[in-house]
Amino acid sequence: MTAPVTPLIQVRALGHAYLRGTPLEVRSLDDVDLEVCAGDVVGIVGPTGSGKSTLLQHLNGLLPPQDGEVWVNGVALSDPAVDIRAIRQRVGLLFQSPEDQLFERYAGDDVAFGPRSLGLPAEEVRDRVRKALDDVGLPFAYKDRLIAELSEGQKRRLALAGVLAMEPQVLVLDEPTAGLDPQGRRELLGVLSGWCARDQRAIVLASHNMEDVTAVCTYVHVLVGGTVLLHGLPREVFQDADLLERYGLAIPAATETMHMLRERGFPVSTNVLFTDEAAREIEGLFGGRAI
Amino acid sequence: MAGPSEFELLGRVTIGQYLPTGSRLHHLDPRIKLLMVVLMITAVIVSHSLVGLALLLAVVVAGLLSARIPLRFALAGLGPMLPFLLLLALLQVFAIPQYGAGATVIWQWSILKATDRSVLAGALLIARFTVMVLGISLFSFSTTTTELTHGVEHLLRPLQALGVPAHEFALVVNIAIRFLPILAEEAERLMKAQASRGADFGRGQRNFIARTRRLLPLLVPLFLVSLRRAEQLIEAMEARSYLGGKGRTHLISLRARPSDYVALVGVAGLAALVVQLSAANADAFAWHWLTDRLL
Repeated sequence: MTAPVTPLIQVRALGHAYLRGTPLEVRSLDDVDLEVCAGDVVGIVGPTGSGKSTLLQHLNGLLPPQDGEVWVNGVALSDPAVDIRAIRQRVGLLFQSPEDQLFERYAGDDVAFGPRSLGLPAEEVRDRVRKALDDVGLPFAYKDRLIAELSEGQKRRLALAGVLAMEPQVLVLDEPTAGLDPQGRRELLGVLSGWCARDQRAIVLASHNMEDVTAVCTYVHVLVGGTVLLHGLPREVFQDADLLERYGLAIPAATETMHMLRERGFPVSTNVLFTDEAAREIEGLFGGRAI
Repeated sequence: MAGPSEFELLGRVTIGQYLPTGSRLHHLDPRIKLLMVVLMITAVIVSHSLVGLALLLAVVVAGLLSARIPLRFALAGLGPMLPFLLLLALLQVFAIPQYGAGATVIWQWSILKATDRSVLAGALLIARFTVMVLGISLFSFSTTTTELTHGVEHLLRPLQALGVPAHEFALVVNIAIRFLPILAEEAERLMKAQASRGADFGRGQRNFIARTRRLLPLLVPLFLVSLRRAEQLIEAMEARSYLGGKGRTHLISLRARPSDYVALVGVAGLAALVVQLSAANADAFAWHWLTDRLL
């Protein structure tokens, strides 16, 4: 159907240990494979301490690969001669609670930090700030707002704009919706899917929130103890409810409901991710009759 | 294989870490260990004998070995200080005029001159720092911060009569130590976030001013985060009815055993010997003994 595509990011047999070579060494990643192609929204789920953040930091070269290899657009990151700033421009990374990391007084200056450090002329910087603010749904006039006056949700979107102003091709996010209210969460996920739909872009996001994963991800990796336990389409991965629960992972509420109904002997499909699908299955139990 | 990441701030600093190897040194009473460290540092500062410092160094290395701490790990703590140490030693050797009077000049080039006394002063400086850093590392490798806090509190207790707030002082020490890795972690996170947006923290940067300027965007969020952490800590302590040291008891009561006193007396004896050695001019004696045999 489609021609074979070269992945934007490719990870092979990646291994990592913190404080390697000291008595305090902690192994955090072991033999991890991952592939990100244009248009993908790849979800990384796993319990706390499973190595999600460590994996994400390898994708833009913040951590150099100790074992295995990471390629970004075919460029191997273990090569000491690699232009690491170009890699970090191409793969934008947003940490957890990025609103804690804003450091300028005015919103526009913070978004401009990236383009300025790229050494772009003032006109181009202004242009990029306008585009990035637009991408995250903030009016351009917000560039002159004091950061301290913004709401938490706005600050988070501002921090995201700071990364988008680098014009990356792949966006890597660590727990992007943690701590947001449902409204802020929906808005942010909307911004992300809107951004990803254009220009051969891709997203990798780590999350605890299974609803986030089902809402936006096209592919899921389940990371446990530094290794990939399961991977596949969200529908495939969440079929294995028992295995996921054994490792302390939740599955989407709608899927879980279907699993419970099935256990109690009701003939429903567990191939369900969203509440409207669940509703349809339950309607089926009543022969499609409205009550 | 890649080296340590350019962002690891504490990864290269080994001093101040606890290594639970469970050796006999680990089980010594922390008060005794604190007194031993104080005695050792006093001896290091008072002594101006290379022989004495070599003796102390040997004892500290023996301590590291018996505590089952890899020597390479302990020496790694010296690494980051080495450039400063060498610079100070060079200043001692060449630029301090007080060693000029009445000393034999070994080497001279315009205003720079090295005398036998200034070379000795430089060597002493390096030896002192090495012994001190390794000794304090040994203490921190084998003592948890809880033990340290208890030890400080107990040792200061007699001074409470004079109005010294022993418990509060110990608490401040404990919190300061506890916050160090947290702040380092936070700084690391900020550096990584900014590097992801094009900032360059590369070690290749040699321009001191440019490097310092890059740190400014780190300081604002770092201050905010530490203030917030401090507030959270206060709330957490008050939520558990913390009222200060009055009437507070400890889960573990410290009790010194005979072996603790033996160790203390041993170190006290060593310190006295080292001080005595420098008073008795042991270096000159050793020097003559060596030159007599070798030349």
